[in-house]
Amino acid sequence: MSYTRKLALRNYIVEIFLLVASLIIIVPLLMMIFGSFMTSSEVLRFKLALPDKWMFSNYTQVFKEGGLGRAFLNGLLITGVSSIVNIITSSAAAFILVRRESKLSSFLYMFFFMGLIAPMSIITTIRVVQWLGFYGSITSVIFIYAALNVAFSVFLYSGFIKSIPRALDEVAFLEGASMLAVFFRIITPLIVPVNATVAIMVFMSVWNDITIPLYFLTDSSDWTMPLSVYNFYGKYSRDWNLIFADLVMTSLPVLVLYLFAQKYIVSGLTAGAVKG
Amino acid sequence: MKTKSLYPYYLIWPALFVYCVFFVLPALIGLFYSFTDWRLDRETLKFIGWDNFKQIFSDKTLVLALKNTFIFAIVTVIGKNVLGIALAIGLNMRLKSKNLLRAIFYSPSILSVLVISIVFTPMLRTDGTINKFLEAIGLGVFGQSWLTDPSIVIWTVALVSIWQHTGFQMAIYLAGLQSISKEYYEAATIDGAGAWSTFSKITLPLLLPAININLMLTLIGGLKVFSEVFVLTGGGPGNASQVVGTIILRAFGEGSWGMGTAINTLLFAAVTVISIPLLIFMRRKEVAE
Repeated sequence: MSYTRKLALRNYIVEIFLLVASLIIIVPLLMMIFGSFMTSSEVLRFKLALPDKWMFSNYTQVFKEGGLGRAFLNGLLITGVSSIVNIITSSAAAFILVRRESKLSSFLYMFFFMGLIAPMSIITTIRVVQWLGFYGSITSVIFIYAALNVAFSVFLYSGFIKSIPRALDEVAFLEGASMLAVFFRIITPLIVPVNATVAIMVFMSVWNDITIPLYFLTDSSDWTMPLSVYNFYGKYSRDWNLIFADLVMTSLPVLVLYLFAQKYIVSGLTAGAVKG
Repeated sequence: MKTKSLYPYYLIWPALFVYCVFFVLPALIGLFYSFTDWRLDRETLKFIGWDNFKQIFSDKTLVLALKNTFIFAIVTVIGKNVLGIALAIGLNMRLKSKNLLRAIFYSPSILSVLVISIVFTPMLRTDGTINKFLEAIGLGVFGQSWLTDPSIVIWTVALVSIWQHTGFQMAIYLAGLQSISKEYYEAATIDGAGAWSTFSKITLPLLLPAININLMLTLIGGLKVFSEVFVLTGGGPGNASQVVGTIILRAFGEGSWGMGTAINTLLFAAVTVISIPLLIFMRRKEVAE
């Protein structure tokens, strides 16, 4: 057998194997999607099958009873504001950290980097937020997410800003531009793609999280979608069709984001893989 | 002198402020509170030395939680990285359906852990989909009481996590593979190198940055595990699947805050002690290659 034919055969075998393996991923997800359109008795068979009759009413019922409209807006507010705060503060910090090249700046870089490693101390964070007087509020959650994501964002921005030649800044300084002008008119336009990557990474991790809302959002009217789903799951543990519909609706925003913003996610992953 | 005046430090302040107030400060006062009898129902604080830590190591449930956390971390690190590399190599070949397959394997990792855990709950019952499927293909002997057998439950939770997140590791490995120049492989083919020696002499060393970042991400993520256990088992049956994350929630609920903080301090110490030498070691190796 010639080399190319051997290679083609090998590729066929690998492809068939991977297609079969992909069923392990697809089947549970399809069970959730099909199940979300079934009646409450049909879904209990937990089989991979198309629903006998498509019950679109499951979705409207869940949306009303699960309080999802409110939860969606809460999630949007929390993820939106915390990613914006994170983008502005982290890109500004990374800009100075990269350009200074002093002992202090490399110490501060390591200081931020520790945030990627260390686990957060939840109980004492609650204490700090209580001292500040906004425990239980959406504001507290926004600041906590902004803080938790600083490390990752500074890391990503630093890698990118290093590749922007310092000569660009220097020309602007010679023309009499102020440091803020350099940052907002030269650096900011160049890091727009990184902003997108950071925004999407922060959005996805914050949207999907249940830990912080569980500890910090004491009032159910402030809950985000995953936490509402968890609560709904406890209350309606028999109506799996409604639970599945709830899960699908919670996943829709990140799925849509993924479909439209794939290339920014890939560039974030590449930064990690190549720079290490 | 010039750079100093051009790039003033005040642009760092907002990030530093948020990070210090909401992350560093809690960590520092946590260190202090770990050595106190801080409780919900007590007005005053007393310094009690190492008592909290002594109590942690004499309490069976807490020791089990520490053990489970390490089991979960090790199993998921191995599973996610071995499978992640394998998938990435497979999907880096010229396959017709490679884009579709990449999207499929990656897709669970963008969903919430909560969603995946709830989807798996009915499937993992003793009379659930997975056992029924195993029976149908004649592998009924491998059926398990996945979530109710205390001796395997933490492994089940780890498997679900591997199922969900391997695609994320795969994507990082794919990016790493694509940065390796094709010429190395052409040269290896000309020299008549076999598949294994190509993998171990070319792919693996050149993939080192991606391996580094993935090992760190999976290890640290594994030690911080919370949501998977919280939703799938709630720490049960009994306390069989408690991990540090769920124990902290329990301690918080019971009002034994000093104790909960002490457990967190222990986790902090474990993560730092394990990951920092690993980070330094891997950096060195990377440079040497």
